[in-house]
Amino acid sequence: MPLLSTGDSWGLLACLCTVLWHLPAVPALNRTGDPGPGPSIQKTYDLTRYLEHQLRSLAGTYLNYLGPPFNEPDFNPPRLGAETLPRATVNLDVWRSLNDKLRLTQNYEAYSHLLCYLRGLNRQAATAELRRSLAHFCTSLQGLLGSIAGVMAALGYPLPQPLPGTEPTWAPGPAHSDFLQKMDDFWLLKELQTWLWRSAKDFNRLKKKMQPPAAAVTLHLEAHGF
Amino acid sequence: MALSSVSQTAFLLALLSLRTYQSEVLSEPLPSAPEFLKVSVNSTCQCLHLQWTVHNLSHHQEFRMVFQIEISRIKTSNVIWVENYTTTVKWNQVLHWSWESKLPLECAKHFIRMRSAVDTAKTPGPRVWSSWSSWEEADVQNSLGQDPLFVFPKDKLVEEGSNVTICYVSKSHQNNISCYLEGVRMQGEQLDPNVSVFNLNHVAFIRETGTNIYCKPGQGDRIKGTVLFVSKVLKEPKDFSCETQDLTTLNCTWDPGSDTGLLKQLSQSYALFESFSGKKTLCKHKSWCLWQVAPESQDMYNFTLTAENYLRKRSVHLLFNLTHRVHPMAPFNVLFKNVSATNATMTWKVHSIGKYHTLLCQVELYGEGKVTQHNVSVKVDGAHLFSGLEPDMEYMAQVRCANGDHFWKWSEWTQQNFTTAEAAPSEAPDVWRNVKTVQGRCVVTLFWKPLSKLQAHGKILFYNIVVDYLDRTSVSELLSIPAPANGTELPLSQCSSQIRIMANNSVGTSPASVIVVSREPGNEEVEEERVKGTEDGFPLSWKPQPRHVTGYLVEWCEHPQDPPCDLQWKNLGPNVTSTVVSSDAFRPGVRYNFRIYGISTERVPYLLARKTGYSQELAPSDNPQVVMTNLTSHSFTLSWKNYSTESQPSFIQGYHIYLKSKAGWCHSGSEKAVLSDDAAVCCKYKIDNPEQKTFVVENLQPESFYEFLVTPYTSVGEGPHDAFAKVTTPDEYSPTLIRIILPMVFCILLIMITCYLKSQWMKEKCYPDIPDPYKSSVLSLIKSKENPHLTIMNIKDCVPDSIEVLNKQEGTRKSLTETESTKPTYLYLLPTEKRYSSPGPCICFENFTYNQAASDSASCGHVPAPPKAPPSQLGLLTSPENLLKALEKNYMNSLGEIPAGETSLNYVSQLASPMSGDKSNLPINPPEPALCSEYKMQMAIPLGLASPPSSGSSSLSSVTLLDEGEHYH
Repeated sequence: MPLLSTGDSWGLLACLCTVLWHLPAVPALNRTGDPGPGPSIQKTYDLTRYLEHQLRSLAGTYLNYLGPPFNEPDFNPPRLGAETLPRATVNLDVWRSLNDKLRLTQNYEAYSHLLCYLRGLNRQAATAELRRSLAHFCTSLQGLLGSIAGVMAALGYPLPQPLPGTEPTWAPGPAHSDFLQKMDDFWLLKELQTWLWRSAKDFNRLKKKMQPPAAAVTLHLEAHGF
Repeated sequence: MALSSVSQTAFLLALLSLRTYQSEVLSEPLPSAPEFLKVSVNSTCQCLHLQWTVHNLSHHQEFRMVFQIEISRIKTSNVIWVENYTTTVKWNQVLHWSWESKLPLECAKHFIRMRSAVDTAKTPGPRVWSSWSSWEEADVQNSLGQDPLFVFPKDKLVEEGSNVTICYVSKSHQNNISCYLEGVRMQGEQLDPNVSVFNLNHVAFIRETGTNIYCKPGQGDRIKGTVLFVSKVLKEPKDFSCETQDLTTLNCTWDPGSDTGLLKQLSQSYALFESFSGKKTLCKHKSWCLWQVAPESQDMYNFTLTAENYLRKRSVHLLFNLTHRVHPMAPFNVLFKNVSATNATMTWKVHSIGKYHTLLCQVELYGEGKVTQHNVSVKVDGAHLFSGLEPDMEYMAQVRCANGDHFWKWSEWTQQNFTTAEAAPSEAPDVWRNVKTVQGRCVVTLFWKPLSKLQAHGKILFYNIVVDYLDRTSVSELLSIPAPANGTELPLSQCSSQIRIMANNSVGTSPASVIVVSREPGNEEVEEERVKGTEDGFPLSWKPQPRHVTGYLVEWCEHPQDPPCDLQWKNLGPNVTSTVVSSDAFRPGVRYNFRIYGISTERVPYLLARKTGYSQELAPSDNPQVVMTNLTSHSFTLSWKNYSTESQPSFIQGYHIYLKSKAGWCHSGSEKAVLSDDAAVCCKYKIDNPEQKTFVVENLQPESFYEFLVTPYTSVGEGPHDAFAKVTTPDEYSPTLIRIILPMVFCILLIMITCYLKSQWMKEKCYPDIPDPYKSSVLSLIKSKENPHLTIMNIKDCVPDSIEVLNKQEGTRKSLTETESTKPTYLYLLPTEKRYSSPGPCICFENFTYNQAASDSASCGHVPAPPKAPPSQLGLLTSPENLLKALEKNYMNSLGEIPAGETSLNYVSQLASPMSGDKSNLPINPPEPALCSEYKMQMAIPLGLASPPSSGSSSLSSVTLLDEGEHYH
């Protein structure tokens, strides 16, 4: 193995110092730079998965609170009084053809409405423990809404403005029987579950789409004197 | 016939008179039938509401009328309800009446009609009814809507235990509609082809969100349902009570019972109403409510507590005088003053309940395991003196108060602890001693028990010990032992002494405990008796003493097996002659020794009795360590001298010796026994004396195998039947043989030692060294005379005709050639034709010491035996390398150069070269064979090897040898 002369050693040291001096200027290594929407999409995806898990427990408790048949596993009533709830189910081709903005907007609008309905559910819950659980879930859902808003902001999309008069309210009409109210509660939880499942798919798709191609950082070292 | 005509006449007369009366009463115009009958339906309460008017009433007329109402269901002929409704009717008045249906009104059509009559309750006679109104129909089904299925009633609220009727109305004419109550299918009855009803009896509360009832057709997924809210029945509040702590606020409490709250109905509310003041307050809490006492003096209060929910209202009443419901607050600022050893004063304060009221306070004192109670009347400040307390004792005092004028309730307790001051110990310590003599001096070990808390009256700091010698020749001694100690060892100047022990605390000294040590050793010759322990302890008894004693004392060791045996003692009165000694420390299988002393009036203890026993005897766990001696062919002796009978878990009564033998029969003195452990049959010898610890087993067979076991036996069993020792009796003659052989062996050894020590002498006598001619004195004689004719043959003067090459195995350097060649190889250095034909002027030496065969077969001349190289050369030629070296040296090495490990058995010549003494002058070239000295072979080789070599082998040259062996470069 050839030995470096004294002059060669000084050249190597100078070269290393030059490389270290320019390291912060390498974009891939600059940690102060904007990471893009990728991390926030990932966080939103994680949050939807967490909320899915949380809702599974909450829905079990709440449906037991409503009683049979609402807590029966195969109960699938018609969607009668829950027409105002945002539907999560969509044709697969339509879902695939959604652009990012529309996809995010639909998510944001859906959770805005669902959160409002869920708060109404919380107000009428009879037991304190159930109220606590619902309040906790509402807080988490509020966080998801904020997270979606963050992703939209990162991608430069404006937040949808609610149309006047379309603000959802939780005020059943006089003809709205208690049984129908329970049906609505059932559908609210079911739609919420479906939306969280769909959102996980949405954000997974966005995540893959936003993922930058594998960038290789090549440091060109001009090794004078080597 | 006549009778019939009379009766007909009488009937007509009566009828005529009735008509006359009626025309008189109804001289004014009678009200007509109800008109403008209107029926409305209230689905929420399932009520039919009727309103109507009555005509033919003038302005001033006012009638009390009866309206008979008929209700039919489904069809007019199916009358389900008839009711008479009585009311006062005025001119132009609209009348109302409601009816609640059990069946939801949506389930079936209802028809209503009515008629009226003037209430003639004051006048006898039948009512005169108006004609019926026309049937009015109440049909809600027409307004239900377009849904194919309906379930009624909608979200009804009922109390637990009610009966509820549910129905469904189907507009799709489907018959296979099934309805479920909480997931369980209900069985109903069909009211008409489209309507079925379900009767629920005694409905129960299930959950706050109601009981779910739903129906669904056999096809399709559309379901319709309703929620039946079943409320728990509101009960009257229990334990309603009001009281005040400060005469300004009343606190009313009650037990609310079950909560009747539902999703559709709030929990029951409570309201408090006071009738004297007319005030009312809604209570914010479910179980208590505060009421501000009016500033004006109102003594009496009459409260009504009302509980109310959607379905029911319940009330309870309470009337009381305010001053009779005073529940004072707990006393405060409880302090103790002037706390001495036996007294303490407790003071406290109370919250005032008005200047006209006196409080009764209760004071309790806990201490010494008991409680004392005192009552004290208090206005504002309370005080109480506790006396007769124990010194240095912690007490807990507590106080509570109530209204002394009208007792209602005690306040909460207020507690405080205090400790009385110390005082001098009240009792002398309980002392015992152990006297021993060490080097002629009495040494007393004193033991004392710590004073109890009630006796110590404070923390014991030290013990004072005063020794007064009874003969007055020595000065009294005073010792002070720090407190935690419970004993001390005291060497005495003289044995006769009186020892006083006193306990001291910070306040003073206890009375002295006196013990006298006597010079006399005491009655140590008292025989020991055995005592049997029981579950309660050891019952001990002794004879009453003729002389006066102040008491008795029993001493024992609680742990006799441990070195500090934990000496215990028990003082007994002078009239006591028996006691039971019990202790938690007593263990089964441990031997306890008790000594009973009498205490004389001079405080001198003397031994009365000694007892020993076990609380419970246990079978011995170990057998003695047996030593077998004196083993003969017919007997052996067993000995277990080291076995202590005292330290066994029970009293040893004797020993059993078990002997197992193949013979299987027992001699006299033993009996056959079968061991339970292995069912082996053996002979059992019995020793009744526990102190006999040797035994001779006799009558044994020689050369026989025996097993034996020595085990102690007690009243509770024997020792373990394991570890039999084994022994084989010796042969009968072996002792005799040993007596002969041993001396012989000794003698042989002696001879061998002697021979070894005298080996040099033996060598000289038996096989002396062969003389060395060079070192012989003859040589000096020859040299001195310088006789030229006399010479010693030099080896260089001999021309060898052959060299014997001996193959000698030498470790790993052995070549194939060497291993195969087992015969000596000879190198004939002289021409063979000259070997025997030219006898030269050789000098012949003969030595017949070696090779007798050779010497026998040859005279002085050439012999057929192979000529030998000098010993030095033979040794070096055992390998090709050595052979080469030997050739280079021209066979000139002397005898002194032979390596020790290469000496051969072949002894060729006894001659030593004359040059051997001067190695520095070794000749380089072999000498010319000018003078040939012939010598005969002198060898000590086996006769078989002495045959002449074959011609093939004898023709080998040195070069051939090198080729066949290993080549070295």
